Amino acid sequence: MALVELQHVSKAFKDQPVLTDLSLAVPEGSIYGFVGENGAGKTTTMKLILGLLQRDAGTITVAGRPVVYGGAAVAAGIGYLPDVPEFYDELTPSEYLSLCGRLTGIDGRELPQRIAAMLKTVGLPQNRRRIRGFSRGMKQRLGVAQALLARPRLLIADEPTSALDPTGRREFLDLLASLRGETTILLSSHILGDVERICDHVGILHGGRLQAQGPLKALLAAHAQAKVALGFADAATTQQAAAVLHVAAAAKPVAAGAAPQPDATAVTATTLLLPAAQGLTQALQPALAALLAQGLVPVRVSPVQPSLEDLFMEVTR
Amino acid sequence: MKATWFFLRKEGLVHWRRGRFLLIGLVFLLFALESPLVARLTPQLLKSMGNGIQITLPAPTSVDSWTQFYKNIDQLGIFLFAIVWSGSIAAEVKSGTLVNLVTKGLPRYAVVLAKFALAAATWLLALLGSFLVTWAYTTYYFKDALTPHVWQGLWPLALYGLMVIAITLLGSAATQSSFAGFIAVAASVVVMGLGDMWRPLRRFNPLSLTTNALPWVRGTKTLTSVAPAFALTVLITGGCLALAIVALNRRRL
Repeated sequence: MALVELQHVSKAFKDQPVLTDLSLAVPEGSIYGFVGENGAGKTTTMKLILGLLQRDAGTITVAGRPVVYGGAAVAAGIGYLPDVPEFYDELTPSEYLSLCGRLTGIDGRELPQRIAAMLKTVGLPQNRRRIRGFSRGMKQRLGVAQALLARPRLLIADEPTSALDPTGRREFLDLLASLRGETTILLSSHILGDVERICDHVGILHGGRLQAQGPLKALLAAHAQAKVALGFADAATTQQAAAVLHVAAAAKPVAAGAAPQPDATAVTATTLLLPAAQGLTQALQPALAALLAQGLVPVRVSPVQPSLEDLFMEVTR
Repeated sequence: MKATWFFLRKEGLVHWRRGRFLLIGLVFLLFALESPLVARLTPQLLKSMGNGIQITLPAPTSVDSWTQFYKNIDQLGIFLFAIVWSGSIAAEVKSGTLVNLVTKGLPRYAVVLAKFALAAATWLLALLGSFLVTWAYTTYYFKDALTPHVWQGLWPLALYGLMVIAITLLGSAATQSSFAGFIAVAASVVVMGLGDMWRPLRRFNPLSLTTNALPWVRGTKTLTSVAPAFALTVLITGGCLALAIVALNRRRL
């Protein structure tokens, strides 16, 4: 069942359309990677779900309940981690979390233990040190703590890794991954590697519309072009093979209106990458026949797993 | 209302740790100590400066002390509040500190109300403290009976200050600038100053609550003369707060 559902949502800022007819569904229990280039409308979509922006058209429901502008996201069971979370420099993390907890309506007697446990979870020390002077990484941790303090059903995290260094990013992704099963996570990012690492569902936003969405594996299998890598003994053979395959590809009859198959491309001096959209056998049979006819023998043949990047490139083309 | 209280406590703690209360307290204490002293020393100062020139000045009285006090608070003290709270809402919107709390259920009106409550309480306490110290010193320096109704000047000024704070918050809620609150106050003072030139309007002009406090203190006039201004100031204060809430509700966080 979808925890978050957007149907035909449109939003424009002063006649500048950001989202046009966006429909999206985040299944309960998933870690949903919301992917798109900068300015694609990811933050706008998240703020619409949070009730921080007013939509122009369409419906948004969280756990079956419609989202109203100005309504408290926490009441709908949403925790929010902004891309660059900002706090009050003069407070300590405990004081800040205490304010958050009280606003959320957590029982005052339960709050101290919850805060202590949450600080431990995100790896922040519990002391009198104030937020002033916190590094980006520490602020991100506190951001996670404030978002999760009320134990939300849904965590919305906007570009959470873009400001972190490699170590911080790894730790942060591990932290998110550890929530799998307990909390549904909607995570926006343009760092595809991060999404591939922890997300099981993906939605790709481009030009204000969702170009593809679904389980990551299924999407990759359905959309992204499979490829096969051909390795040759030396660079000279590789060049000859490239020329042969180029001829082979060009000679193939092209159905009217269909895009011509891209040629084999050289990825290294001795490796060629062959598109295999219709399956490995379909791609290899004519290619190998053409090569062998010229006495060119590939020494390695290996299928290449499609990546999210391939998928992204394909659907946003 | 609970949320307003939680946010108010946060505001208090942040302002305390930023040293804002200390600053305001010191400035208002300075006014309190300075007003009677300046009144007392002015004749001597003028005498020592005007060497050779014959200056005859009446002996200073408690009237001079209170005049000095109202001048200080009206022309400097109130603006200190407009400066300190000038960007208080705009800064929270701009930096994004409000987003976290609003998504946790903090109603936006609570932001305006809590900030007003804190500024108003600080203003009233600072004003009262400064007033009491001035009163003590004035009775110590000047043993005259020229200012029998000392409290009478205080109420209009206190109310005027609340209006200034409300205007500051409206400016800060409506725009992104951290100077907007102060500019809104400055602009409204200019407008009220222009309005002051038209005599029939004076009874309604909030400015008349501060510019001429001494007749009330001396007992030559009663506060009923500015009753319409009282009413209008209350209306403007409430109206500015309501508009500030509307403005903040419309702001994109």
